[in-house]
Amino acid sequence: MADDAPLRLYRALVKNDPAAAISVVEQVRAEGAEPDALLDSLFAPALAILGGSWADGSINEYVFTQASAVSDQILSFVTPPRMAGDTGITVLVGSMHGDSHDIDKNIIAAALREAGHRVVDLGADVRPATFLQRAEETGARIAIVCAQMVATARAVVRVREMFVSDGRTDLVLLVSGAPFAADERLARAVGADGIVGGAESAIRMVSHLARQRRGGGSAS
Amino acid sequence: MIERSEQVRLAESLARQGRIAPAVTACYQALRVNERDPLAHCLLGGLMLAEGFCEQAARSAARAIELDQRCAAAYFVLGLAYDRMGGLWDRSVLVWQQLAEVVPDLAAAHVQLGEALAAASFADEAIDAWERALQIDPREPRAMYHLAMAALKREGMATALPGFRKAGELDPSQDDFFFALAGYDAEGLSAAAMSDIGPGIKSQLRAAHAFAANDELFKSSELIRSILDGHSDDVAALSLMAYLYLKQESVNEAMACSLRALTISTKTPTAVYALGAAFARRPALAAHASKLFSALTTMAPGQAMPHVLHAESLLGLQRYSAAGAAYRSALALDPGCVRALFGQAAVALTAGDHTAAAWAIRRAAYHDTRRRGYFWGPYDAAAEGGEQ
Amino acid sequence: MSTDTDNRHSVTGSDARRTPRRNARFPLGVNYYPLDSEASGWEQWYAGDVEGDFARFEAAGMTLVRIFISWKLFEPQVDRYSEQATERLRDIVDAAAAHGLRLIVCFFADDRHAELLDVSWGRDRDPRTDAYLIERECALVRHIVAEHRSDRAVFAWELGNEAFWCGFASGDELEAWAAALREAVREVDPDRPVMCAFDPETLFHESRVDGRRALGECEIVVSHPTMRYRTYAAEGPVTSPGSTHLDSFLLRAVGTRRPVLLDDVGAGTLEASHGEEAAALRCALYSGLMNGASGALVRRWRDMATERRKPYFIDPYEAIVGLSDTEGHPKPAMRVLREFAGVLGHLDLRTYSLTPERVAVLIPSERRSPLPALASLYSPRSCLEAYVRVKEAHVPVTLAHEEEPFDPFAVLIVPSVTDLAGGTWERLTSWVKGGGSLVFSYGGGEFGSEARELFGVDFLGHGGARARATCRVAQQDLLGQLEPFDVPADIPHFALLGAGTSTVVATDSAGSPLLTLNRFGQGRAVCVAAPLERVLGQSGLRTPPAEVQSFLRTLYGAVAGVTGCGPLVSCDAPEVEVALFAGEDDDVLFLLNHADRSLTANVGFVVPVATVTDIRGGSPAVVGGSSFGAPLEPHGVMVLRLCYA
Repeated sequence: MADDAPLRLYRALVKNDPAAAISVVEQVRAEGAEPDALLDSLFAPALAILGGSWADGSINEYVFTQASAVSDQILSFVTPPRMAGDTGITVLVGSMHGDSHDIDKNIIAAALREAGHRVVDLGADVRPATFLQRAEETGARIAIVCAQMVATARAVVRVREMFVSDGRTDLVLLVSGAPFAADERLARAVGADGIVGGAESAIRMVSHLARQRRGGGSAS
Repeated sequence: MIERSEQVRLAESLARQGRIAPAVTACYQALRVNERDPLAHCLLGGLMLAEGFCEQAARSAARAIELDQRCAAAYFVLGLAYDRMGGLWDRSVLVWQQLAEVVPDLAAAHVQLGEALAAASFADEAIDAWERALQIDPREPRAMYHLAMAALKREGMATALPGFRKAGELDPSQDDFFFALAGYDAEGLSAAAMSDIGPGIKSQLRAAHAFAANDELFKSSELIRSILDGHSDDVAALSLMAYLYLKQESVNEAMACSLRALTISTKTPTAVYALGAAFARRPALAAHASKLFSALTTMAPGQAMPHVLHAESLLGLQRYSAAGAAYRSALALDPGCVRALFGQAAVALTAGDHTAAAWAIRRAAYHDTRRRGYFWGPYDAAAEGGEQ
Repeated sequence: MSTDTDNRHSVTGSDARRTPRRNARFPLGVNYYPLDSEASGWEQWYAGDVEGDFARFEAAGMTLVRIFISWKLFEPQVDRYSEQATERLRDIVDAAAAHGLRLIVCFFADDRHAELLDVSWGRDRDPRTDAYLIERECALVRHIVAEHRSDRAVFAWELGNEAFWCGFASGDELEAWAAALREAVREVDPDRPVMCAFDPETLFHESRVDGRRALGECEIVVSHPTMRYRTYAAEGPVTSPGSTHLDSFLLRAVGTRRPVLLDDVGAGTLEASHGEEAAALRCALYSGLMNGASGALVRRWRDMATERRKPYFIDPYEAIVGLSDTEGHPKPAMRVLREFAGVLGHLDLRTYSLTPERVAVLIPSERRSPLPALASLYSPRSCLEAYVRVKEAHVPVTLAHEEEPFDPFAVLIVPSVTDLAGGTWERLTSWVKGGGSLVFSYGGGEFGSEARELFGVDFLGHGGARARATCRVAQQDLLGQLEPFDVPADIPHFALLGAGTSTVVATDSAGSPLLTLNRFGQGRAVCVAAPLERVLGQSGLRTPPAEVQSFLRTLYGAVAGVTGCGPLVSCDAPEVEVALFAGEDDDVLFLLNHADRSLTANVGFVVPVATVTDIRGGSPAVVGGSSFGAPLEPHGVMVLRLCYA
């Protein structure tokens, strides 16, 4: 990045010229600057110059406000993405048939979405066949089945049986919920490949599986 | 109309001084004089509740209500007693509903009603109650926290987080923290500081901070402008200006001022705070905010607020267990930090630990109720009514 | 939909070629008009070689034939039915049965030639509204249905063709007539399907009559583009990409709750060359099948012998272009039909099914405004543009009407809309909160508080018209790999937005947000500040800016992808439409090239493909990987059976 880029950006800001400001950002990008570093290396120094100019009276309050408005317009060009980019990993999330608890499922689904995964939220009270059907339809390879009651937790085995009967041994079945947290053997008994212990755990496990898949040469 | 006896006045005075045992004795004396004195029963209930004797508190409060059905403070005692006893949500809901009828514009009644409804698994009705509380008082932080928790349960952290931040900003402790970082205590920000402005920069800065603390934002900024005209590199003035811009939702101006201050001195805690707070307003800059607030925990050791702010930025980065650790640090420094307790509840929910979440929320409610003097407000209102 | 015709091979007499195996689950047929020459008189109703024609239909692999009743011939005097006509119809039905064909019997049709409705005793009365004539019509229907109610060769009773329906002045009158006639059928035949063979979209365009309520009682509905509609909605030649997608667009617009018969398939004007006719027929038939049609009826069997039409003469309801010329010599379109029948014969629709569509383009209810308005003029074009762009992203897509429930969909595209009906924003908000992804482009008008909250933006005002479309990409890769552009284009509106709580993904050249993304509840709300679909749809004879097309294609594909309903099969050629029929052990892949040039489509799969085989037979080709290239002729088709590794 050219050394004078922050100064050029500052000049564009005080000239109230958003097009020129965008051009400066694009030039810096074209020179190979990492998008994640633009705020620290370009925008923040330019704003510091702006703050200094206002403080020493080089620009008046009106120009300062206008320049800040322009900086707001171009802020999205220099900030890292608010959401993670699309990972291409599709994950089915749903609460087991007979189980209407959906808080854990909602939090896990939202967290995975935020992490850039393609989440297909099947809702609560989902029949085992629906997991299989939507896996076929979406190409998903990971299913997270939530259950908060012992009876519904035990019934998750029917999801695994459904996958096996259709020859879908490649589908990863993760389970979540208090019964599984309390007794890991239950998860093994229903044929689960892992226990999701909340949102962060879900992100970690799905990312791990994604890395494994990429290592194995296939996606999704 | 409630008339206060001498004994009740004595009991009140003792209670306000925190001398519970003699206050209780005074209450019993008041009741011996007049067993039908609702204020005496109410006060006795409040004292019992403060000491954790919930059943006795409930009995006294119920008697107070029997004697005066408009005694709002007694409803508070009764409702809180039921809440703390646990398992009596049906009774608790009824009490809070009655209080909401007795004092319709009392936001706290709706907050409590919402909590009781939520505990009784009426989630939608609880949300309605909290929304009503915010309609009555848009600056009611606990209602905002609860709505953020509800959003977390339905829509996840990304939706809930702005609610937590907003609730936190409604809490005056964050502003107090800024002024503490700037080196001012309550005395330094008194009215005298605003009226007695000397020619020196120190006096002017003190006055500017005092104006800011008293919501006189324009006067504060005019003073800062005049300081900067003479000393354009004054980091304290620049940091305060950044704070004022944040107060006016001018986030980029705040960034510009705080960045300028940090260019001059990287070790300016108020500038670090202002820049962190500005970054925290932009969800995409959560990582930047996190770094600054982390630094602030070192710059301001012994303060819970930087840990809370750090934790909230970590929530935005989906680092929930790290956020949980930051909240724990905050609570170790201030066990009654409502913002940290709600945050801890949110972290517990993300880990699927509903029991821990419920416990943290109850602790938050407990401390918030104590901190905000829910009992004394209605009590004084009833007592003043009695004096009229 | 099934014609109950056995899947069978047959050999026809002189031809002795192997007839394609017929697929009973996808009835393929033709409109069989009573006259083939303008010079013929009305009394020559089906006086030609019906038996021979039916044999040829069978040989072509068809199972379905629509015939048209002549009221004039059947009831020459009031309440006196012609025995000759009755017998003639009996012969037709018997001939159909002999050739394994099933008939759609259309009672009241205007074919522009055979004077089918002109009963001499009913002149000066309107057959649609006159109570006496309606009574006579019901009597005729009862007479014919009673005569053939036990004939298995009758597939369905059709009350009228669209040329007839088009004469109604109001939806209420249309509905009343349909109810009366339907009741007349049901009195005699309680079970057989009853059809009202009009396409609600083309009918509305032609007459501004909303006939959808009348379709509510029909067991089978139809879609068909008229030439006038094609010109209106998709300007350009019949084989231009917009035009070749129009058949499936209308098919989707009819709805998916009942079987939809793709009607009047094929070129509609003699101005098209034989090659264009064949290409148009191929695109329509295959895209119909690839988009869930339940059957297809080709426009006409034999060209009508007419005077040369002036180029500007376009009657939307005159069917004059057939599969063979006036002498009966097959045109290239005939080969297309036979090939299609051959493919159908190898596709068991009991075993294979299309991937369900979770993405829908919303047809706003403002389209049905009874008053002529800019919105109703442009919204079909905007919807078609959006539909084509999603198709180009290879995402399974359908259409949804604004008043329908949104729950079946994960992604909704609301293209260039001026105004939504009351309550729709509330429904959209609730749907997004529950996890849906909404893509909305501003089409002018209000940007209300619900929209501002949903998209997380501030509305700073209407920016007015612009002569250039510009895009600067702020957030790279957040919604696909968008490319910046700066092209001349007539932008009628531009919403000046403030970022608010949304993420600005792209801006115009001056930094005003062009594309924003807001996380709302469990879902996403994407806002485009300008009606880009309308910009493409109203570009007229000017070539639509490819950059804008690419922008929308990328955007739609990205949103569908992150929502978990992206394409199962990737393809690097936007012009190629892709459909996957999933089976138990293998899948069938359809590739249809909408471009008028040869190309090779590189298709990729989630799991490795072991072999591919032409569905009609042949040796399997070993793939042994997750992608392969498929060479396609202009408007060409490839249908492959995929076996996975």
